[in-house]
Amino acid sequence: MTSNSESILLKGGSVLVTGATGDIGRAIVNECVQAGAAVFAAGRNEAKLAALVNQYESRVIPLNYDVTDEKAVKDAFRQIQKQQNQSDIGPLTGLVNNAGIMEEAAFTVSGMDALKSQLNVNFLAPYQHMQLASRLMARHRHGSIVNIVSQIGEMGATGMSAYGASKAALSGATKSLAKELAAVGIRVNAVSPGFIDTGLTAHYEEDARAEVEARITMKRAGRAGDVARAVVFLLSRQSAYTTGHTLPVDGLFYP
Amino acid sequence: MDNQQKLVQSFVQALGIGAERVTDELTYNTIKEWDSTAHMILISELENTFDVMLDTDDIIDMSSVGKAKEILTKYDVQF
Repeated sequence: MTSNSESILLKGGSVLVTGATGDIGRAIVNECVQAGAAVFAAGRNEAKLAALVNQYESRVIPLNYDVTDEKAVKDAFRQIQKQQNQSDIGPLTGLVNNAGIMEEAAFTVSGMDALKSQLNVNFLAPYQHMQLASRLMARHRHGSIVNIVSQIGEMGATGMSAYGASKAALSGATKSLAKELAAVGIRVNAVSPGFIDTGLTAHYEEDARAEVEARITMKRAGRAGDVARAVVFLLSRQSAYTTGHTLPVDGLFYP
Repeated sequence: MDNQQKLVQSFVQALGIGAERVTDELTYNTIKEWDSTAHMILISELENTFDVMLDTDDIIDMSSVGKAKEILTKYDVQF
């Protein structure tokens, strides 16, 4: 059951969530709606987006596009620019750059294509989203951007050099943009998940999973909802004096 | 309010200066009020006022009031 205080955390504004149909994305959409926001849910899978709309009705507005398609991203923001003026939606006050891909490979067999595709999805696309979202937010001198990074980007991990680099790039942009955008009332933070039970980690064999969990101080994988609640905290006024920081949601993980 | 007046009003709002100072020759970074922060707010004001979404290259080129008019014309805004 949602308490009154929870349901007003994001009331009156709208939030764009990329990668909205994945496990963590759906959890973020759910927490944002529970907190009172209208959500622009971005994803490539039309059927999964339709399911989200069915679940939350008018509180979720689907945006069907590929985050690496620059023109499609611009078209999506054009739609947000028009729709945010509707009273039941409200101005764009939040952006969650959640869409991401992870490809594990040893350094010697890491192909350039895999490196480029991870940089495209995990860094270049969020950068364009921040550029366009900040222009909508600047007019109201108010906004909060949350980037989903990774403890692998913060601390490194064997076989994850390309993925880690792409997420570290986003961490770096988070810190610099926090300084640049503070002048127009926009905060920029990151949430850094550790090992979370999602489709991205479902392929782990039992032995590999046990080995990872042994390196988590809390001795269990995290849940998508754990990440989503941290995101809503950083989107909301509860974190009004916090910018340029990365919040780990990892059970104290040593990757 | 015609488009010229809307343009001037956008600069007045974004830069916090009087309308009499908004001439075609007014140039980015030549007055303290038009710094990088004000430029971001200006772009935001112009996009909202004229219901357009500018390309990044156009934002980079928007170095004066006259240039802003020239660029907005490309987006079917007539002056």
